[in-house]
Amino acid sequence: MSDALKEKPNAESLPKSNGAAVLIDGHYAPPPADKDGKLWVRTSARIEAEPQQCYDIWRDLENIPSWQEEIVEVRRTGEKTSHWVMRSGDKTIEWDSEILADEPGKRIAWHSIAGDAQNAGEVIFEKAPTGRGAFVTVLQEFRMGKLATAWETLIGRNPKQAVIENLRHLKAMAETGEIPRIEPQPHGQRGTVGEMKKSLYGEKVPVPSGTKERVSA
Amino acid sequence: MKAVCWMGKSKVETLTVADPQILNPHDAIIKITRTAICGSDLHLYDGFIPTMEAGDVLGHEFMGIVEETGKAVTNLKRGDRVVVPFTIACGSCAFCKKQLWSACDNTNPNAHLMEAAYGYSGSGLFGYSHMMGGYAGGQAQYARVPFANVGPLKIESDLPDEKVLFLSDIFPTGYMAAENAQIEPGDTVAVWGCGPVGQFAIASAFMLGAGRVIAIDRLPERLQMARSIGAITVDYSEEDVDVLTALKDLTGGMGPDSCIDAVGLEAHSSDLKGLYDSVKVALLLETDRPIVLRQAIQAVRKGGTLSIPGVYGGLLDKVPFGAAFGKGITMKMGQTNMHKYMKPLLNRIQQGQIDPTYIISHRITLDEAPDMYKIWRDKKENVTKIVIDPWATKQAA
Ligand SMILES: NC(=O)c1ccc[n+]([C@@H]2O[C@H](COP(=O)([O-])OP(=O)(O)OC[C@H]3O[C@@H](n4cnc5c(N)ncnc54)[C@H](O)[C@@H]3O)[C@@H](O)[C@H]2O)c1
Ligand SMILES: [Zn+2]
Ligand SMILES: [Zn+2]
Repeated sequence: MSDALKEKPNAESLPKSNGAAVLIDGHYAPPPADKDGKLWVRTSARIEAEPQQCYDIWRDLENIPSWQEEIVEVRRTGEKTSHWVMRSGDKTIEWDSEILADEPGKRIAWHSIAGDAQNAGEVIFEKAPTGRGAFVTVLQEFRMGKLATAWETLIGRNPKQAVIENLRHLKAMAETGEIPRIEPQPHGQRGTVGEMKKSLYGEKVPVPSGTKERVSA
Repeated sequence: MKAVCWMGKSKVETLTVADPQILNPHDAIIKITRTAICGSDLHLYDGFIPTMEAGDVLGHEFMGIVEETGKAVTNLKRGDRVVVPFTIACGSCAFCKKQLWSACDNTNPNAHLMEAAYGYSGSGLFGYSHMMGGYAGGQAQYARVPFANVGPLKIESDLPDEKVLFLSDIFPTGYMAAENAQIEPGDTVAVWGCGPVGQFAIASAFMLGAGRVIAIDRLPERLQMARSIGAITVDYSEEDVDVLTALKDLTGGMGPDSCIDAVGLEAHSSDLKGLYDSVKVALLLETDRPIVLRQAIQAVRKGGTLSIPGVYGGLLDKVPFGAAFGKGITMKMGQTNMHKYMKPLLNRIQQGQIDPTYIISHRITLDEAPDMYKIWRDKKENVTKIVIDPWATKQAA
């Protein structure tokens, strides 16, 4: 580094690279482009919590249905493998997943090994610059298949958006212990366009419960 | 329960709907004792705010008695009397920690809609479109209030409901507008709009040290109200009145130190510029009518401050940004960071520094609300503020 600029009271040391490839040699790199039937999504959230706390929520596989959309069951099947069940409307999709890397408080990577869905992903947990909570970055890849199609046709939600919403739910869980929701709530007659609008607004996807317990006192 | 529902543009009905229920651990159910209709509700009534859906329960200014609490609610119990802020905030995200409560990260279940329109989502609001959270509102007999540990302000004194009701929105909104105006002792402040928000902006400007406040509107009863609390008034609709000239005349040619736009996107105008905006809005080439915003940018002095509590929703045309740059002005705006102001303003009411009931003109039942929306929009019957008692029944004539 040159010494043209000496006064940088709060500057971090120049990060060379990080997981999920947001930075390469100190330079921003855009997410991978979709091609050959592969969809990519990369999304990140700054969370008022320690990276370890966010990791712990994510790594608690059996509890994932309480904060990831439409996932109804995650069952451990081995030391590194698990079985996933997703229900959209009356359609059920199942697959097996294997953890490829597990660095507590830092990173989890996985891929699907069998079943109705082909996906792979990585989630990075790091301290945000100057100690402001955690940065959680998810990089996920899907092949167009039953999973992606079900999301798009049944729920009217792009599978990429589902990844973004799930990270939003994780943030809400880590920061507040609950996920914001409005259904069911009082309303007058919705009329005929109501249902259509509901799916347009993304309100057809049930918000995960955020908890297994009763909410009233 | 009974609730006032939005059923389409210019169509509001009082209907019987289901009671709300606790959905999350930090929720409370409030039995509403007083609620109000706001200038912001007109933007919904007139169809300016997208993502309303037929059947949505309206209302964001309400107070009442705690009926039931979720299991994580620790500082409220059944029977407590509370005023509820219209912005919903979690209290623990980075924005809440900075006191930017209306920018809360964790209270809009439809954040993706607002992200698509604005880049990022603000907090959820009661009764104010699906883009802003889709929460059922408070022109009803009961409401579900999320994050009840953080929002509702407990009223422990025996002040009547009406004296504290406006802590739910318009008093803090007027106050934040005056704070955003960066008033220095003796400054001259111009306020467009003498509705409830304008009234409290005028009162707050004086509290914060303004020497002179100039209030602009066309409705005589509102101008009178502004004079009653010490403002000089200008009727922009009077023949031969030009607002910019009037403001120069009243400031020795220098312009007001601060300008407050308490009108927002439905500003009224009868001249050609207004027609231009109405036609563009009708053709969907523009969503808002920024008539006051344009005037305020022109009127404010060099290096002055423009504070904008009036709501804007979408795309504005012909905003004189060159004038803003050329004079080096500061602009501050946004939904009110309610939670920051409620307690200090309650103290001012308790100490008798202000009695907010002076703006009330109508007290009605829920069943009368649909008709009142029309009167409110047309500013008939000298209406200045409508308060609803959701449990009152119409007196037999
Ligand atoms: N920022 C917030 O959080 C927040 C909260 C509440 C209300 N608001 C907004 O504040 C604005 C005012 O609310 P209100 O309840 O006082 O509404 P209101 O409709 O009662 O008042 C608006 C006033 O503006 C006047 N007006 C219209 N055109 C004008 C013009 N060209 N010049 C001067 N005056 C003009 C009207 O005659 C009326 O008296 C609305 O846009 C409302 O949505 C914002
Ligand atoms: Zn309001
Ligand atoms: Zn928050």
